[in-house]
Amino acid sequence: MCCNSRIWHSHHCILPPYVSRQIAQNGSPQQRAKALRTLSIDNTLRAIRLSSSGAPQAAKRLIPGPMVVESQKLRTIYNVNNSEALPGMEARSEGKDDTGDAAVDEAYVGLGATYDLYWEVFGRNSIDGNGMPLNGHVHYGSGYDNAFWDGERMVFGDGDGDLFNRFTISVDVIGHELAHGVTEHEGPLAYFLQAGALNESLSDCFGSLVKQRLLNQTVDQADWLIGAGLLTDKVQGKALRSMKDPGTAFDDPVLGKDPQPANMKDFVNTWEDNGGVHINSGIPNKAFCIAATNLKGYAWEKAGLIWLETLRDSRLKANASFLSFARLTVTAAVRLYGSGDEEQIVRDAWGQVGIKVSKERAGAPVWTPQVQKPATQPVQRKH
Amino acid sequence: MRIEFKREGGLAFFPGLARPRTVDLAALPPATAEALKREVREARFFEQPTTVGGSPTMGADRTRYTVTIEDDGGRRHSVQLVEPVKEPHLRSLLELLQKAEREHRAP
Repeated sequence: MCCNSRIWHSHHCILPPYVSRQIAQNGSPQQRAKALRTLSIDNTLRAIRLSSSGAPQAAKRLIPGPMVVESQKLRTIYNVNNSEALPGMEARSEGKDDTGDAAVDEAYVGLGATYDLYWEVFGRNSIDGNGMPLNGHVHYGSGYDNAFWDGERMVFGDGDGDLFNRFTISVDVIGHELAHGVTEHEGPLAYFLQAGALNESLSDCFGSLVKQRLLNQTVDQADWLIGAGLLTDKVQGKALRSMKDPGTAFDDPVLGKDPQPANMKDFVNTWEDNGGVHINSGIPNKAFCIAATNLKGYAWEKAGLIWLETLRDSRLKANASFLSFARLTVTAAVRLYGSGDEEQIVRDAWGQVGIKVSKERAGAPVWTPQVQKPATQPVQRKH
Repeated sequence: MRIEFKREGGLAFFPGLARPRTVDLAALPPATAEALKREVREARFFEQPTTVGGSPTMGADRTRYTVTIEDDGGRRHSVQLVEPVKEPHLRSLLELLQKAEREHRAP
């Protein structure tokens, strides 16, 4: 009903509240439980946001868009034609057939798979939650070795063919770039030091979920690699990163050795790479992988939801540390599933990467001042 | 003329690619050296601000290049180029440096 014809996904949707309420009233017992859980999360976050400082702005963000239940997927792929002259020529728009250009078609499919994950599983309508069109720009530059998010669009190079293949080849990389857009719109995470590594990790987590869902893989079937297939045969390596075993993705004479730590005890202090955002992300990546694996089933069902709820939590700060993020994941697990196995699994996952979330401190630090603020500094509102 | 070139950022961190490189134009094939000199001149490199391109607050995974050039007269200037770099001569200078790097890498 709410998510196209894939009936088995319909009950995961966090859709406009009235849809969830409808399910809560009329669905099967299982659907009802999930829908009620959804409604409760939704309201909790709305309440938190409305009671935090800057309430008018927060409230504005919460005004639901049009009450749509149809997908508003709107992809456009541009061919930059091996130049840097963005945006380039339109090569494929929504609903059009394959073009035969692998980069164009992979970008189209990858953006679609990413949109579908956010919409069908999490009820989020595109990057900004409000149907933002998705623009991908392929064949950027000449032998260009990168893919990036520039704040508005995703840009993909063809790779030099020596070290790297085309950057659209791994669907998780496409999901990774789009997830940066979600993080930028949703959360305040700075792209620097631990907060930046969390930002990077969230992109890896959701990028991997895009791939796992596209391939219909359970947590045990997933390879938990980011960028598998991106390195050429000449490179001694299997991917850019391994979420399961950080630090093992490549070891090559030209690229060097994968520098990712898997545990806080090996945390890398550096000013390079925006303070190690692509290096230390190995730690939260592994925590997510462990949590998802122990939560079993499909990783997007519980682990993905918990992590997305954490990103949406207004207590998440621009300079969030791994520990503060970890605490918020535990509180999100409790909010979603109550005190029980899920909470314990998430807490244990962080424990296994050297981040201890004590039961008492979970979620505590920034909660009190934020809630009190509107009471002490009332905000003038127009009614 | 000597050019120091350092690449940072991008979708992943590769220690091997992040090492700073120094190119001495005297050691390059004359055609490559001449092309580099021309782009340095046409890009007005020594008049560029310390950071060019990109957006200061938004975006992720963008590559950042630090290019430091010392000319034969002893002038020295550093510019950080953040993707996407739109100015054509700076862009071309970057490509020439990357090409020189690749050629150096090839056995």
